[in-house]
Amino acid sequence: MRGPLWHALARALVAGALCGTAVLAQAQEASIKRATALRAAPGDQSASLGELAPASAVARTGERQGSWVKVRTAQGTAGWVHMFDLGAQPAAAAGNSTAGGLRSLGGLFGGGSTTTATSTVGIRGLSAEDIANAQPNPAAVQEAEKMRLSADQARQFAGSAALQPRSIEPLPEPPRPASTAPAATPDATYAN
Amino acid sequence: MPARLPAARALRAGALCLALGLAPALGQAQGGVMNLLNSLGGSASSGGGLLGAVTGQSAQPQGDDLISLLSRSVENIDEGREIEIGRQLAAVLLGSKPLHPDMRLQRYVNQLGRWISLQSARPGLPWTFIVLDDKGYNAFAAPGGYVFVTKGLIDSCADEAELAGILAHEITHVTAKHHLQAMRKTAQSGVLTQLVASQIRTNAVGNLVASQVLALGRNLYARGLDQADEYQSDREGVVLAARAGFDPYGLVAVLQGLRTATPDNPLFTLALATHPPAQSRLDQLEQAMGRRLDGLPPGPEKTLAQRLGGQAPAAQAAAPAAAPVPAPARKAKK
Repeated sequence: MRGPLWHALARALVAGALCGTAVLAQAQEASIKRATALRAAPGDQSASLGELAPASAVARTGERQGSWVKVRTAQGTAGWVHMFDLGAQPAAAAGNSTAGGLRSLGGLFGGGSTTTATSTVGIRGLSAEDIANAQPNPAAVQEAEKMRLSADQARQFAGSAALQPRSIEPLPEPPRPASTAPAATPDATYAN
Repeated sequence: MPARLPAARALRAGALCLALGLAPALGQAQGGVMNLLNSLGGSASSGGGLLGAVTGQSAQPQGDDLISLLSRSVENIDEGREIEIGRQLAAVLLGSKPLHPDMRLQRYVNQLGRWISLQSARPGLPWTFIVLDDKGYNAFAAPGGYVFVTKGLIDSCADEAELAGILAHEITHVTAKHHLQAMRKTAQSGVLTQLVASQIRTNAVGNLVASQVLALGRNLYARGLDQADEYQSDREGVVLAARAGFDPYGLVAVLQGLRTATPDNPLFTLALATHPPAQSRLDQLEQAMGRRLDGLPPGPEKTLAQRLGGQAPAAQAAAPAAAPVPAPARKAKK
């Protein structure tokens, strides 16, 4: 079950590393969240290539069109699924649901055999310690403020970038997840 | 610029000083706070005009330090003060990592961000977008319109819609004043004094309000915002990006990528520690979005390299999408 998919993933990972693509969102193992069809092209109207069972494993190809992403099944069939029908790979899903603790969750792909390149190279990003030790640099703020653009300059960019403003209704606010209930304090007046 | 008064003296006796006419350079009819913020900002270019614009509005007799200022309701912190607080926090972030030297990239992020901000509830803020020279993966905002993304985050964006989603999320933190709310909570909880005291050795600024802002800023960015604020910024950020003409699934794609990042990966540690789990954010977004936004016409579907290439000499534009932005892992193998 794991063999061919695993090798495909390993190949994809190597390919991803070679062409310098991002660490994230490339060639990830994922699992199907709920029963759905594998579509020949993005969209519910597109032809079905077969049914995908809940929890079945697929590999993301990195291709996305709006809400649809291209995946490859363990059998090697490529097709499209809606992003919201795609869950994390099982190991990462289990780890992430433990409220974002700082414990190690294993490798990027959840297996023992892969090395997570970024966690072993000895570099790190901006950390809490960096911020704790930061001395204010107002001169850099002034430098940055020189890059500010006017509304007209932004509209000019949008025009050249084929970006059109659209009217979109606000989204409904869903009930909070249970784990964050304590954060909901009565004086949460952030909407003001 | 006004002379730098010794902080404690200025704080305790700010009003007195004004009354005695000892501080004619500090302006008139304003509380001590802005004088002090003004003096510690040291910005001769725009700070004076900005602050000058707000001083005439109303006298603020009460409150001559940041705690008093924040103890008022956030709605009572006027825009000039908000921007000044944001500038101080921006200085803290830029004290931890420098500006990225690629000015073309800085300009592009300002174009993208400023355009998105125009669709927001506060299009008139002096929005400033900043790429930090850091291989890690993170984004920050500060009151008054300062938005930061790391170069590592830029490099990990598969397309422009992803970056647009991230910027829209940060812009929402600003328009909803989430940082002011968080600072206010900290100030009201009484731990600010301890924070300031605990950081005395690392404070080079030597004035109480500056120390308070510094302590609050360090605390804020190391700790993160309320989870509810993050969910709100996700939800409203998706809408904001869509209003600006982008594919609304950019932020969803970012979060789907982020859920495979592990906290022991030092490029992601801080981002993951200061946000709800990516899966929870996706669950919230799925509930809010459903298929409501699926029928929108697609956005421009550009990669960052295509966009940046379009503004560059042809030689730069020929490279494939991901090539000019190697993954952090690769860069590190030197």
